[in-house]
Amino acid sequence: MQNYVLSKGLISLLAALLLLPVSAFSQELSPREIMDKLEDNRRATSNSALSRMQLSTCKFGVRDGKITCAERPRVKSLESVGKGYGLDLKDTKSVAILLEPAAERGIGMLSFNYDDGARDNESWLYLSALGRVKRIASGSSDDETEPGSLFGSEFTTEDQDTGKLDEYQIKLLEETVEASREVWKIEMIPNQERARKSRYSRTVMYIDKERFIELKVEMYDRYDKEIKRLLGSRVELMNGIWIARSTTIMNLVTNRLSNMAFLEMHTGIEVPDEFLTQRTLTDAAFRETELEKLRAQIN
Amino acid sequence: MEKILLSLSDAFAQAPYKVLKYKSFVLTGLIVITSVMVYGIFSRTTFDMTADSFLDEADPAAIALDDFREQFGSDESIFLVYRAKDGNVFSRESLEAAQQLTNDLRNWQSLDRSEYPETMNGITLDWNELNHIRRVQSIANIRYQESVDDSLLSNRLVPTALPSENAELGQIRGKALSLDDYLLAFYSENTEYGAILIQTDFGTKPEDGFVSAVDAADVSLDDSFDSFGDDLTFDLEFDESVEIQEVDFEAVDMLGYTAFHVMSKAIYEKYEEQFEFFPVGTPPLMEFMLEIMNEMQLLGIILVLIFTLLLWILFRSFSAVLWPLATILLSIAWAVGIPAWTGVVLTTMISLTIMLIFAVGIADCIHVMSAYFSFRRQGQEHHIALSHAYEKTGLAILVTTITTMCGVMALSTSDLEMIQVFGWTSALGVLLAFFFTIVLLPILLNIWHPGDPDADASFADKLGKRWHGFARNTQIGIAVVYFSSVFFVLGLGVGGYVSLVTILTYVVVNWQKPILNAVPAITARYPYLIMAIFGAIFVSCLYGMSKIRIDSNMAELSREDSQLQRAYDIVDENMAGSQSMEIVINTNKVDGMMNPRLLQAVDELQTRIEDRYPNEISRTNSLANIVKETYKVMNDDDLAYDRIPDSELMVSQLLYLFNSSNPEDRRALVSDDYSKSHISISAYNAGSYQYQIFFTEMGEEIAQTFAGLETEFPELQVTVTGSMAMMMRMADDLARSQYASLLLALGIISVIMIVTLGSFQGGLLAMIPNLIPAVLSFGLMGLLGLPLDADTLLIAPIIIGIAVDDTIHFMTHYRIALARTGSMSRALISTIQDVGQAVMFTTMVIALSFALLSFSGHMGMAKMGFFGSVAIFFALLCDLFLIPAMIITFKPTFGVKDANTDIDFSKTATAQ
Repeated sequence: MQNYVLSKGLISLLAALLLLPVSAFSQELSPREIMDKLEDNRRATSNSALSRMQLSTCKFGVRDGKITCAERPRVKSLESVGKGYGLDLKDTKSVAILLEPAAERGIGMLSFNYDDGARDNESWLYLSALGRVKRIASGSSDDETEPGSLFGSEFTTEDQDTGKLDEYQIKLLEETVEASREVWKIEMIPNQERARKSRYSRTVMYIDKERFIELKVEMYDRYDKEIKRLLGSRVELMNGIWIARSTTIMNLVTNRLSNMAFLEMHTGIEVPDEFLTQRTLTDAAFRETELEKLRAQIN
Repeated sequence: MEKILLSLSDAFAQAPYKVLKYKSFVLTGLIVITSVMVYGIFSRTTFDMTADSFLDEADPAAIALDDFREQFGSDESIFLVYRAKDGNVFSRESLEAAQQLTNDLRNWQSLDRSEYPETMNGITLDWNELNHIRRVQSIANIRYQESVDDSLLSNRLVPTALPSENAELGQIRGKALSLDDYLLAFYSENTEYGAILIQTDFGTKPEDGFVSAVDAADVSLDDSFDSFGDDLTFDLEFDESVEIQEVDFEAVDMLGYTAFHVMSKAIYEKYEEQFEFFPVGTPPLMEFMLEIMNEMQLLGIILVLIFTLLLWILFRSFSAVLWPLATILLSIAWAVGIPAWTGVVLTTMISLTIMLIFAVGIADCIHVMSAYFSFRRQGQEHHIALSHAYEKTGLAILVTTITTMCGVMALSTSDLEMIQVFGWTSALGVLLAFFFTIVLLPILLNIWHPGDPDADASFADKLGKRWHGFARNTQIGIAVVYFSSVFFVLGLGVGGYVSLVTILTYVVVNWQKPILNAVPAITARYPYLIMAIFGAIFVSCLYGMSKIRIDSNMAELSREDSQLQRAYDIVDENMAGSQSMEIVINTNKVDGMMNPRLLQAVDELQTRIEDRYPNEISRTNSLANIVKETYKVMNDDDLAYDRIPDSELMVSQLLYLFNSSNPEDRRALVSDDYSKSHISISAYNAGSYQYQIFFTEMGEEIAQTFAGLETEFPELQVTVTGSMAMMMRMADDLARSQYASLLLALGIISVIMIVTLGSFQGGLLAMIPNLIPAVLSFGLMGLLGLPLDADTLLIAPIIIGIAVDDTIHFMTHYRIALARTGSMSRALISTIQDVGQAVMFTTMVIALSFALLSFSGHMGMAKMGFFGSVAIFFALLCDLFLIPAMIITFKPTFGVKDANTDIDFSKTATAQ
């Protein structure tokens, strides 16, 4: 309950901040502060939240000035529930269950992410065909680990990462316009330590001045060649949080794209602690009952 | 025919007059055009030095390789095998060094560059080359999966902080030896050898100018990316007719691979105290090839020196050196300049073209000059001598030009573009050498025309006189000192070569006349014996040829004691083998690779080929291994689950796990839509011959294994590919087609001989001495058990072309002499004495130059250099002894009516 109140409070505070006229303080924000705000916004989307996402991946081509899938996209959809814990709710527990495709239906992942760098993240994987849960030892502290792919899509864990801003040199390149919105064009260059773990030598982000979300991100490889591009679209205010409901990442070398669409996103949900346990993975009946209760909160 | 030949000879006799009449015009024209050509060479030459230039891009197997790279990434890597000097790669010192080295390669950006040299092997080190490193794997960072108490662990084989107890190090070693996936890949069974796999992005980096189609102005996502349905659905539109942008990948040339390998070497050589290194893979191989090219340049310089010296000594005049050089250089400038201006892409094979132009050009010039000098020494005036020289040699030069052109043009029937280009440019070069011999050489000889009998003795003459002035003992003394110092300074090999050059030159300079005078008598006396000896050699060489094995072997490109071959041997003996190939499986069906029956077939194929070829194949790896391993690990390492599960649902979930944890590895193994995958095979080094057999048999195994899956996968394609395997296959195909085109060339040359000599019998007769040198080099190789590889076969037509040239000169001269004199004896004497000298000189210069190639580090070159020069020398013996013996025996009249066929050299000699 305390968490619920806290998170509610945080969200309204965030919303209030975000809705303030930008001109009031945009001049004073340092590039680092802009990034902090962007990340706060990102984190808010997963706190006490229930969301349903769809990941579509396909080879793409360009015709008549439009980027279009050149094959039937491979679609995965999943439902996820997350909740913040600890001081400032910076630790998170979340569970994600695959709904589609049929062959992967019921595969689930339970993750505990800790803000404290010294504490290893924990995760459990459930393969429905096997009917067993396995704890996956995390290698997050290990620089040898390559960035994992998000459900086999073009999105990698690195593209979705929050935090670790200290490991970047952040620079405001210019203030400009992108997708008819005023944006800050910010360059992030990883420091030597970070560069070892990163695929990118630098990223350039176009951040909406008003809504603090990325409208476009260019990712450059070590030859300073742009290899991936992310585009955020269908920006909507969902439950008081600005969110790009449709995010597309394009691999410019392999000509493959993945789109992540938020079909539903609800924040401010009271998630019982028991839901964020292994039982949700293995016990389908329990899971469905609990999910029903969560959905009831939305309505 | 006879009339045509005579009128052609007359036309050649007039040629110098015509040229000299317009000499200013001709010279100016040549200078202007040559300048344009040289400018074109430096400004417009397109040169392709990539390894792929060797492959035919339209070949289905090459397309499969391109697809493979596009799909699964670069297959170019350095497999850096090291021997722990303390005998154990799992000792504390070795592990520390391996950890440090792995770290240096992965995190080279943080190394202190001042601790490294700035150049290596004469190449400036470029740190940016290390950007090509995509991944480094070694004992220090490999992990194995383990299931402990419901936890899935991905443990390092060697912990970052090494254990303090030696017993624990022993346990690590024990664990390592139990991991089948890593044994032989990262350490040998006796743990004396270890390996670091440096994977690169070679061949998968887009070209510099590549611009993604999405960068075009006003490009945006289609509307479906923003369209959410009312019922919270979201469907991206798709259109299969939309074209996917083709990405052109940067081609990598020898210099690129070498720069990368040399830079990596600078990093790993710091650990030479603990390890001895044996690198294999394309980058070290290309470095070797580049060294060979540099060595060729050095050999080229020595070659020019030797040939300058020989020409100067043989003709005793520096103009005899300068003018042929000028003629040849112009031919080369035009032969390289014309392709440059017409936009033809040249490859490293242009060096062979240059060699050919050199050889042919020198032969053309020597024949003309030898005749000219001979007429001058007989007291003829310069212009008359020049005209006579062309009259005598012009026709033969024309015929040799045509036959050599035919020989090299036979190469243009090859499927490979680079060989076709080589064929055409070489043919052009040969034609140009003829053109300049006719057009330029008379003008040059007119400018400086030594050989004047009244002129002062040249320096070479004076030197000769001085030598003959010495007492016999002094001569012996000087000779002993000379030969000892040659051997002492240059060693046995080069020393032997220089001594041979010296002796042969001495013999030819001092005794050419007596030798040539003695030849007719000897042949007249023992014609049957001579024919019997040559016949026996011919038959044994034919037998040798039947034994010849066409086989290209990467490791055997270099000498036995070379670093490259040692590395291959070590890797084959101790690790999983130095070669790799791929079996690509394309189901042409989305998610096809998730089918359990297909995976079971893949697994079965792996077992079958591993069982059938224990001596050729060390290990195989595929998606089936991943599925089996994951299945086992997810079931607490229970061996009962070390198999492909029967349920497709299970397979797809196991693959889900693999994909999530290791997307890079997954993408390297199976395509994004799970329709394509591949089996990687590690193999021991073998020659292309063995590979071919292996490919054929593997095709049968594949057909049998996948036979039951036709209904489920009607479009299933299973192809064998991989860059090394492809190289081998192409090398073998190439060698075979070369062999065929060589025979074709010999056929064409026979026809030309028959036409030129105006008689079927004569033509065939002339072909025998032509065939012997060709058969000799191949036959000797067959008898000695040396395989004939692709590189050797490329030079073969050149050598044979040159060997044939002298015979043609001989026969053509004889034919004309017979027509003019009507007497066989007189024609034969005049031919032996006039052409004999020129043939001796060209043989000396060309054969000794080719012999120099025997010292090449590239075995293909070395073999051809050695056997080629043997063939050219043998051709000389054929010309001097076999041809006269055959003429004496068979008395061919070459269509000359009423020719006197009596052979009596004593009368003829006195009559002259």
